[in-house]
Amino acid sequence: MTRSASLSVLAAFAAFVLIWKAVVVVSGLPPYILPPPETVAIRLVGAWRDGTIEPHLGTTLIEVGLGFGVGAVLALVAGYGLARSAVVERLLSPYLVAAQAIPILALAPLLVLWFGNGLLSKVVICSLIVFFPVAVATMVGIRAVDARLLELGRSLRATRRQVLFTLEIPAALPNILGGMRVGVTLAVVGALVGEWAGANQGLGVLINLARGSLFDIPLMFATLVTIALVGIVLYLIVVAFERRLVGNR
Amino acid sequence: MTALGSGNGASPAPGALRLRGLSFAFATHGGGSLPVLDGIDLAIPAGGIVALVGPNGCGKSTLLRVIAGLLQPGGGEAWIDARPIIGPDPRIGLVFQEPRLLPWRSAADNITYPLELAGWPPDRRRERLATLSELVGLDPAVTASRPAELSGGTRQRVALARSLALEPEVLLLDEPFSALDALTRERFDLELLRLWQRAATTIVIVTHSIPEAILVADRVVVLSARPAGIVADVTIDLPRPRAIAALDDAVAVRASHRIRRQLEDDEADETAGARAATLPTPTELAS
Repeated sequence: MTRSASLSVLAAFAAFVLIWKAVVVVSGLPPYILPPPETVAIRLVGAWRDGTIEPHLGTTLIEVGLGFGVGAVLALVAGYGLARSAVVERLLSPYLVAAQAIPILALAPLLVLWFGNGLLSKVVICSLIVFFPVAVATMVGIRAVDARLLELGRSLRATRRQVLFTLEIPAALPNILGGMRVGVTLAVVGALVGEWAGANQGLGVLINLARGSLFDIPLMFATLVTIALVGIVLYLIVVAFERRLVGNR
Repeated sequence: MTALGSGNGASPAPGALRLRGLSFAFATHGGGSLPVLDGIDLAIPAGGIVALVGPNGCGKSTLLRVIAGLLQPGGGEAWIDARPIIGPDPRIGLVFQEPRLLPWRSAADNITYPLELAGWPPDRRRERLATLSELVGLDPAVTASRPAELSGGTRQRVALARSLALEPEVLLLDEPFSALDALTRERFDLELLRLWQRAATTIVIVTHSIPEAILVADRVVVLSARPAGIVADVTIDLPRPRAIAALDDAVAVRASHRIRRQLEDDEADETAGARAATLPTPTELAS
């Protein structure tokens, strides 16, 4: 990032904090409804220091990582099948759309009932929510592969495997990574929804604790900030991958 | 020097192309078939250069694809030397109308792509890359660039190098220089001839340009409107090596008239409603 770009990002963040502070001052809302930014900042640092956040963050990151990984890999396979086989598309797409139409929020309690309070149910929920955008992006990307390049591959007697790895995947990569950008942020949502539906640890659990038994609203905000940071960092990781892989085409 | 003079007189060079009764039809949506090629008979000696000309949409490119093994003929057969072409064939190099490079690969990796697919180890690929770049006159400094950073002419040079990577016996070119401006195109035509002298391949080139056909070919084969058959096979009796000035030669002018007449006759034969083929205008010959 250039210097002026970094400066503008900082300026926008400063403006956000200032407006937050202004709302607190002007509205006179009590801190258990809207704590001022400095209180949240102090609580965030405190919660990191005393180890309140860390185990919950670790749990959530594992859920997101595994859920995204499993969901994305399955979606790549399914997306390829959807793009290349009319039969697969006919058979699979109704379920795909139906699964996407049912809100994950409504599905999560059932999945926790089936797969338990632990990691498994969260991975399933994350995978499910990641699956759709990545599968659709893969399908679109593979379908958009230039038929002329495929003809070139055929004229050079490329095997199916060579066509897949040297033509189709590289050509579809910008689309696939676009789907992953969406998928990775949804994975965080999936993990939190899963934790809300039933879990012993995770940032979603911490929010519930902060609101309920602990009644520590600044901690709740500090957790929200942490969640936002997780989302931003994961997104940036995908963007960095994208730059590296397809940046200079 | 004869047209077959690429082989230095030792053992007969491989790459003699023979088409016998080649026909092809596209299946239409209604379940019918649209005949495109109608009994093409053509023999090209090893090291010969033949240009295919014909009205737009007559099936020149289809013929090239059948020879390349990308389309299965409905009838007849194509042979290189004593072996039939039954599918995409390592003895054949193909240059398309557009460079058709993989945009995510460097020029070098595009050139060596066929070698990679054929399983060549990286060090041998690198050696071959140097030879190929030199052969097509590609500046080694640009081989690290992506296609998007190259000019149209350089891209087509890369495509040409790629088509020669596996040392084909026959080079098929489908309007290879039609996207280039007139001057660049002439330069490429002459470079193709220099290349031909060194690489010793048989060449079949599809073109819309009568001057281009006359400049490069031993014979210009004129195809009829669809379904395409051969209506004329004009021998271009110009000495080699040729220069642009060869086009002003009386032989070239006569050949040009003959080819044009064939194309125009054929156009007149077309039924009413058939779209007019855009043929090169006489002024093009003056270049």
